[in-house]
Amino acid sequence: MFDWSFVQRYAPFFVKGMEMTLFISVIGIVLALVVGLVCAGIELARVPVARQIVRVYIEISRNTPLLVQLYFLFFGLPKIGIVWSAETCAIVGLGFLGGSYMAEAMRAGLQAVPEVQRGTAYVLGFTPLQSITHVVLPQAVSGAIPGIVANVIFLFKESSVVSAIALADVMYMAKDLIGMYYNTYESLAMLIVSYLVVLLPISLFGTWLERRFDYARR
Amino acid sequence: MTETTDIAVATAANGAASANSAALSVRNLTKQYANAGRRVLDDVSFDVPKGRVLVVVGPSGSGKSTLLRTIAGLEPIQGGEIALEGKVIETGKPGTEKAGRSARSSELRTHIGMVFQSYELFPNKTVLGNIMMAPLLVQKRDKAEVEREALELLGKVGLADRKDSWPHELSGGQRQRIAICRALILHPEVLLLDEITAALDPEMVREVLDVVIGLARAGQTMIIVTHEMRFARAVADEIILLEDGHIVEHSNDPERFFTEPETDRARRFLRTFEFERAPHDQQ
Amino acid sequence: MQGAEILLQPGVLPRLLQGLWVTVWIAATSVIVSVPVGLLVGWLMTLKNPVVRVLMRIYLDFIRIMPQLALLFLAYYGFARWFDWNLDATGACVLVFILWGGAELGDLVRGALQSIPEIQSESAYVLGLSNWQSFVHVILPQALRRLLPASVNLATRIVKTTSLAVLLGVVEVIKVGQQIIDANRFQYPDGTLWVYGVIFFMYFIVCWPLSIVARRLEKRWAND
Repeated sequence: MFDWSFVQRYAPFFVKGMEMTLFISVIGIVLALVVGLVCAGIELARVPVARQIVRVYIEISRNTPLLVQLYFLFFGLPKIGIVWSAETCAIVGLGFLGGSYMAEAMRAGLQAVPEVQRGTAYVLGFTPLQSITHVVLPQAVSGAIPGIVANVIFLFKESSVVSAIALADVMYMAKDLIGMYYNTYESLAMLIVSYLVVLLPISLFGTWLERRFDYARR
Repeated sequence: MTETTDIAVATAANGAASANSAALSVRNLTKQYANAGRRVLDDVSFDVPKGRVLVVVGPSGSGKSTLLRTIAGLEPIQGGEIALEGKVIETGKPGTEKAGRSARSSELRTHIGMVFQSYELFPNKTVLGNIMMAPLLVQKRDKAEVEREALELLGKVGLADRKDSWPHELSGGQRQRIAICRALILHPEVLLLDEITAALDPEMVREVLDVVIGLARAGQTMIIVTHEMRFARAVADEIILLEDGHIVEHSNDPERFFTEPETDRARRFLRTFEFERAPHDQQ
Repeated sequence: MQGAEILLQPGVLPRLLQGLWVTVWIAATSVIVSVPVGLLVGWLMTLKNPVVRVLMRIYLDFIRIMPQLALLFLAYYGFARWFDWNLDATGACVLVFILWGGAELGDLVRGALQSIPEIQSESAYVLGLSNWQSFVHVILPQALRRLLPASVNLATRIVKTTSLAVLLGVVEVIKVGQQIIDANRFQYPDGTLWVYGVIFFMYFIVCWPLSIVARRLEKRWAND
């Protein structure tokens, strides 16, 4: 039997949990975007040494799980004197993981702009700056958006892992309630609804954004 | 240029071939698409005698390619019929606009070969694999025999050394010659060629057309849709001008069609190619 | 730095490797079973039947929108009760990864199948090939080739996601690591850093080659 009163009683827990999820994800995603932008910039400008470091970082970040990254930050680093709060670890972890994904998406967007477009801008008499702002960037953004949107959703979902370092997000609430009251159905239903309420609009917005910026298909 | 003499011989040889029974006949063929009021093909009738070459010309959108596609069974027809060697293989039914390909048997399909503008070799098979696929899978022929014939065909089109190449390693002209071999190995009664040089670079057109001229000389029945008027003139035994799904002119004398066509519309159509012909005429 | 010595303790590395084996086993089983599931789902998604389409859409979107950890919870706590299933943690993991892999792969299969131009099957038709022959000899081989890089990528993602199994209590590499840390808490208080460091490295060693293979395949495909 589905116990509605249980849902009524504990729904506020999930709202609180979602606040935590949103807090961690939003800051983590912003950090990931910044890291991604810096990395993509370094790669495109072919900065020596820094470029190699970025390559190594991207490989490490993409080929290890967030959970292990978090455990390392939260339990491992204090042993060499670096003590961060769980929130900081979660945000740094998401930024570390997401940075490489964002960098790849941005690079893909820029590389999708054909060289001949720059040539055309040159022939039309555009200055290099005009060429970048009026010709290259608009197309690069359009090319990068699907990847960036996918990464935002991906990182938001990945944030569910932070419950493992005792952050009280939605996942943590569900686990807690199941453990305490055995109201499995109700807790799981609230878990699903919590994620749907937030992720469905993001996903739809992403689809809309992709269409809006898809110059090729318009 | 030796080409002109080659062509002259080819035309003469074909002209001499006697027009006996029809290999393919099309009667009152009507074709319509689902969401269009206009008929793509309207009451089209003609015969292609055995061993003869029919060339279909006409402006873009006149229905030339659709005509070949209906004969190949790729598109349903809404009226008329198509017969192969006197046997009706397709009867038009109204209301079939949205129907898929014809349900004709695999065996029957091997009797009508088709080569597409975009070659359509299977990228997952080598040259030999492409050519041998249908004889082995559909006709269940002996592998050694099929391979022997495939190599022979490759030799004839000058590609014997490419038998183990992959399609992506070949030029457009080479791919198209292989597509022709792939159709020929089934010994089709009729071979349909749909703008087979339209996607090729100019320098590759010749190598493909030479193969077709050789086929015509060898007595292969063909229906050819093309924009190459010089080639049409060289290879045709009969010529049809199609416009808006209608046959505007059907001539048994291609030479006459190209020099003094009977209808105004044919004259107008041919005039659009004068620009193309001019440089060659000066030679 | 003396914490590093924990790794040299007898039995520590072999135990971690055993844990890694469990991780790889779960991932490999899931990937292998995902392939036929994905082919089936992908084929279903190309069908025109509206009911099948809607069902597949819901399946794919639900799996995609839910965090994998939430799906694991659903399978482990939910399925067990709904169907009165005695699903252990490992089983729940494999089930979720198969459903997830099948959905992702299915979407890739659909895309790959639809990316093969219609005229390829037309030329198979004209040559007399039956629908089945055309699918098996012409369409599927081309689709599979396009699918390969993305499937290898998916395998990498599944391996990484296998780490979540520890949160259901599966004794895989992370759990083994935690046990080792606990057992040596007093002798090697700094062991945590090193054990997690090694686990971090182990995942990298498994996933990195897969990423490289995927990238190579992608490049090769782009050149053809």
